[in-house]
Amino acid sequence: MAARKAGSRLELEIERCRSECQWDRIPELVRQLSAKLISNDDMAELLLGEAGLEQYLKENPVKQGASPRGPQLKLTEVRKHLTAVLDRGNLKSDFMQEAKLIMAKLNYVEGDIKEALRIYAWVGLDDLQLVAAPPYKLRMIAEGFSIKGLCLEKLPISASTNSLHVDRDQDTITCYEKAGDIALLYLQEVERVQTASIQNRSPKPGPAAPDQELSFFLETGLQRAHVLYFKNGNLTRGVGRFREILRAVETRTTQNLRMTIARQLAEILLRGMCEQSYWNPLEQPPNQSPLDDPLHQGHNTKSYALSRRPWLYTGENIFCPQENTEEALLLLLISESMANRDAVLSRIPEHKNDRIISLQSASVVYDLLTIALGRRGQYEMLSECLERAMKFAFEEFHLWYQFALSLMAAGKSARAVKVLRECIRLKPEDATIPLLAAKLCMGSLHWMDEAERFAKMVVDCSDKSPEFKAKGYLALGLAYSLQATDVSLRGMQEDLQRKALLAFQRAHSLSPTDHQAAFYLALQLAISRQIPEALGYVRQALQLQGDDSNSLHLLALLLSAQKHHHDALNIIDMALSEYPENFILLFTKVKLESLCRGPDEALLTCKHMLQIWKSCYNLTNPSDSGRGSSLLDRAIADRRQLNTITLPDFSDPETGSVHATSIAASRVEQALSEMASSLQSSAPKQGPLHPWMTLAQIWLHAAEVYIGIGKPSEATACIQEAANLFPMSHNVLYMRGQVSELRGNIDDAKRWYEEALSISPTHVKSMQRLSLILHHLGRFSLAEKILRDAVQVNSTAHEVWNSLGEVLQAQGNDDSATECFLTALELEASSPIVPFTIIPRVL
Amino acid sequence: MSTERGVVEEWLSEFKILPEASITSYAASLKEKTSLVSALYEVIQEPQSELLEPVCHQLFEFYRSREKHLRTFTLQFLPELIWCYLSVSTSRDLQSSGCIEALLLSIYNLEIMDDQGHSKILSFTIPSLSKPSVFHEPSSIGSMALTEGALSQHGLSRVVYSGPHPQREMLTAQNRFEVLAFLLLCYNSALNFMPSASLRSLCQMSSRLCISGYPRQHARKYKGLKNRIPVSAEFMVQLLTGIYYSFYNGEWDSARRALDDVLYRAQLELFPEPLLVANAIKASLPQAAVKGTKKGTKSIQVEIAPTSSRISRNAVTSMSIRGHRWKRNDSSELTLPDELSEIAEVDEGFCSRAASSSSQSAMSHSSSGSFSRPPLVKSQRRSLGSRAGGKERESTGDPSREHLSRKQNQRAMSENLELVSLRRLTLTTSHSLPKPGSCSLARTATSVFSKSFEQMIGAAPVHSVAGVNTAGAGTNVETNRFSACSLQEEKLVYISERTELVVPGKSHQRSPSICITLSTD
Repeated sequence: MAARKAGSRLELEIERCRSECQWDRIPELVRQLSAKLISNDDMAELLLGEAGLEQYLKENPVKQGASPRGPQLKLTEVRKHLTAVLDRGNLKSDFMQEAKLIMAKLNYVEGDIKEALRIYAWVGLDDLQLVAAPPYKLRMIAEGFSIKGLCLEKLPISASTNSLHVDRDQDTITCYEKAGDIALLYLQEVERVQTASIQNRSPKPGPAAPDQELSFFLETGLQRAHVLYFKNGNLTRGVGRFREILRAVETRTTQNLRMTIARQLAEILLRGMCEQSYWNPLEQPPNQSPLDDPLHQGHNTKSYALSRRPWLYTGENIFCPQENTEEALLLLLISESMANRDAVLSRIPEHKNDRIISLQSASVVYDLLTIALGRRGQYEMLSECLERAMKFAFEEFHLWYQFALSLMAAGKSARAVKVLRECIRLKPEDATIPLLAAKLCMGSLHWMDEAERFAKMVVDCSDKSPEFKAKGYLALGLAYSLQATDVSLRGMQEDLQRKALLAFQRAHSLSPTDHQAAFYLALQLAISRQIPEALGYVRQALQLQGDDSNSLHLLALLLSAQKHHHDALNIIDMALSEYPENFILLFTKVKLESLCRGPDEALLTCKHMLQIWKSCYNLTNPSDSGRGSSLLDRAIADRRQLNTITLPDFSDPETGSVHATSIAASRVEQALSEMASSLQSSAPKQGPLHPWMTLAQIWLHAAEVYIGIGKPSEATACIQEAANLFPMSHNVLYMRGQVSELRGNIDDAKRWYEEALSISPTHVKSMQRLSLILHHLGRFSLAEKILRDAVQVNSTAHEVWNSLGEVLQAQGNDDSATECFLTALELEASSPIVPFTIIPRVL
Repeated sequence: MSTERGVVEEWLSEFKILPEASITSYAASLKEKTSLVSALYEVIQEPQSELLEPVCHQLFEFYRSREKHLRTFTLQFLPELIWCYLSVSTSRDLQSSGCIEALLLSIYNLEIMDDQGHSKILSFTIPSLSKPSVFHEPSSIGSMALTEGALSQHGLSRVVYSGPHPQREMLTAQNRFEVLAFLLLCYNSALNFMPSASLRSLCQMSSRLCISGYPRQHARKYKGLKNRIPVSAEFMVQLLTGIYYSFYNGEWDSARRALDDVLYRAQLELFPEPLLVANAIKASLPQAAVKGTKKGTKSIQVEIAPTSSRISRNAVTSMSIRGHRWKRNDSSELTLPDELSEIAEVDEGFCSRAASSSSQSAMSHSSSGSFSRPPLVKSQRRSLGSRAGGKERESTGDPSREHLSRKQNQRAMSENLELVSLRRLTLTTSHSLPKPGSCSLARTATSVFSKSFEQMIGAAPVHSVAGVNTAGAGTNVETNRFSACSLQEEKLVYISERTELVVPGKSHQRSPSICITLSTD
């Protein structure tokens, strides 16, 4: 009894070793077995034969496409064992089948294809029972099919007809498909048995079963079918085969295979398929598809059945992709999670190769993810994915660069600049990177010093192609020009403006076909009030790019500076026919209209703007007054955002300048101009802040028109609309002051202007109005002080010079007053309807 | 020339008299007529041709019909039509491009509507690993991929990637590329049905569009246009989709050229989106084929992949490191360069600094405070209090301000606690929220909290001992945790650490006033 039990335990152990391919233990176990049961000689022969063959294959692995080996000395022993078993035929039929399968394998290894095929026919490979077969048996059958496929491929093509040839191809593939299915089933079974036995055995887990490696034959069986499909140009079935493998529940051994196959399928979905030719994994493939080579047209449905199939992922509402990008993304995410798991972190030299391998397999996946997500515009998600890639990224330029670009595309500017800096370190010769960084710094970040530094990097680099160098000078000029607007000391301002002009000139001479260079040169000249020169360059810019909105706008402003208001308006109208939704152009239009076509036209334009705003931002509840509840809620939320955005400027000790708030105010303006530029490219940029600022601006413009025609109550209503959105805006407070003045309420007006200045101490218009009131109140010296400050901030505001003259005159300082009046006169002659700086300056 | 003219004229007339019943077979046969297709290309390329208008008209008739083959027949000319329209419109010869413009607009206006006449909204689902699919099960992916970010997007989100688009009556400089990008999107969704001549035309169009007016034009020996043609980033990304397909479907050489030119232009325009995609396409070209050319072959091929891991067992990987515990002493070498932590800090900007410093001081004061707290916080206090001690001493110099800040800190503390518990419970993080500005206070505060929290759970005894020793200068205690979790978490550690460095200095002076503005808001 005890012996029997021991025997059966021994048998179980042998079965386990055969399932898990632990061939080195077999001879020892066989010895024990033979000691116990003398009658089982044949069984021992079988086991020894199998173990011998497998051991040989382990030491001398078969490779794809290797020439047949012929009889091997080392295998004579194996053949002897097997022949003995087969000749005697004493074993049960199950074991006889096994012996035959091993024999066929031996024949294949020794190159005797015909004999192998004969044995498979003899054993009836297609009819072998899969149900209730032990795992090792499943492995043998899977290998059998795989070897049969290999044999069929190697069989010389007899000079028979072509259709037979096609049939044989299909037979071969079917063999591989069956081999693959059974192999998957085998791997699932082995894993199930292993986990079950670990659970049973426990508390101590003992040595875990070693990671299994797939034999050549199983690997071939799993993969050869789809390789052949793609070779024959039958993408439909190839994709189908990929999906079958991937839908099978994963095992530890198939993880690497799944990672690769998932990636390959994603590649095919992205490279070779489109939305219209897609069918989802649970659908029947289309019978005719443009994917397939018309010469190899076959039927696209599976033609074989197995008595058992591998387990698939199933469930009530599991996700099934409905579109090729969706499926590609899902596969790539799966592949990514596995690639990430294999990231080699240690940096010791011995692991260099491992690092390269893990980096390669990951970066392929990340590139494909970029392609798929870029197609769908999901840059936010892409930046998150690429962030996960950063554990591979040490000194890897490509990953850093892609990460930086994705941050930039996702609107995370500050981080993008930091990452770009690392990219510059890794690849200092690439001019694009500092240019990108400069663009970001000049944009929403408003880091002008940084922008200047990046631009200088491009310019200072010696050998660059002229177009990049020109771009560098353009960036440098813009940085200077924007700095000049921010800076408060007159001397510095002039210095920066001169530098900006020089840089733009260099850019223009390096790249004469670039309309941007000509345009910014014109703009810079306009800002320093060299109107005729500016006109010349803006015409050049328009010749190069006839429908550029900024150039047209500048042309209109230049004409208005020469007091050709009707011409300016015509230009604006022309520009608006190309850019009907450009608010900056519309704002200028309102000003020009109220000047030369009367307030009614201007008000109509304001109304038109409100309509455009509504259609552009397509909000859920835009009641006409802009007072709908949801609208208000959102406005409040935005206001909070605005607070957090502008706060750093008040409290940042690093800036340290007196004019910190002017930066805050200019940022608001910046944001506005950015909005206008984002309107041109259809992509909606960041957050919902800009639309609200635009709306407030529209209301304020309407208020101004009403004030111009002396209608204080209408103006107040408009201001109230703007105040609902931004109650603390200095523009709103300034307009309130204007209304009060109109009503003759000087005290109120004074208070409003003071409040406006307390929010934005450098708001020139408020300063000018306030000083006028002070002048009337007889407080000359304070008025003079404020006006002198205002001149410091903006030396080209002719109203300020004029007021200053008046104040000085009232104080009896006639000489200085004359000088001021003359300056005012001179400036007025070249003053545009709205400041030139309203035109956005972006790279 | 005359024979080509004849072919086109025959095509124009034969469709008009075609009986309704035979349209299907006629449509299927069109694909074979190569001479017709090349003759039509020539008509389109010749803006002065008087055949252009009837041809455009008939192409539109084809597109309007319900017959799929007829639609694809028209669609194959789309790249050429776009090129002709753009090249003519930049040279401002608007008259002659009128019928091409009309054809493009009509196709656009047809495509933005679905069959029921509603605006078409193209959307897709972003798959998530945390939801089971036909290809995987969340449990088998392991905890690795289930980071906070992934969990916050638990479930699937459906995203609109195109639409709804408004009807357009004319092409203006403002909407031009919106319309053209959408047309290319339609073209790309039918790439499989496009003959190779069409793909070639797409690649050629991309090349010319990107280099006209630039110095590279001379290198390419293209003399057609002198002016630069403006492009949009979105349009370039759509071009790249077609180019990518062309690479692997028989047009390797022209795709290669087009890719280089698009990349060149994207660099000069400083567009991040096409740069991203073009870089990725370039990097993922099969290594062997990069140099050589692969004319005319369909190059979608796969090879047998190795199934066993190619990474040696003893290498430290993300997977293996999870079970690993680092020794505390030698780990200061693992500090990441400062640059990295700055990245994190600057991005959160002011808010994070304010938030974390306020939470820091909240900690320090709470050690002397007497209000009751849940036990978890006590353990936190023990660890952080010792390190924050120096700062506390400094702040006692100004009793009134201390009082003020303590009051606020208590409030901030309780708020933070709420946030912590909220976060622990729901696992919804602010990652999914669109604007960092609006909520980064809550986010950073909680991140810092939950981070230190984790440290307590993980290594409480070691930490408190080390904390005493390093009260003065020891700041890298926390850096010891080198975990394989996402960088995101890592950099949060650095934030908290950096603020400790900064706090004793001037930034502490700032924190009370900041607290006011932030907490009253």
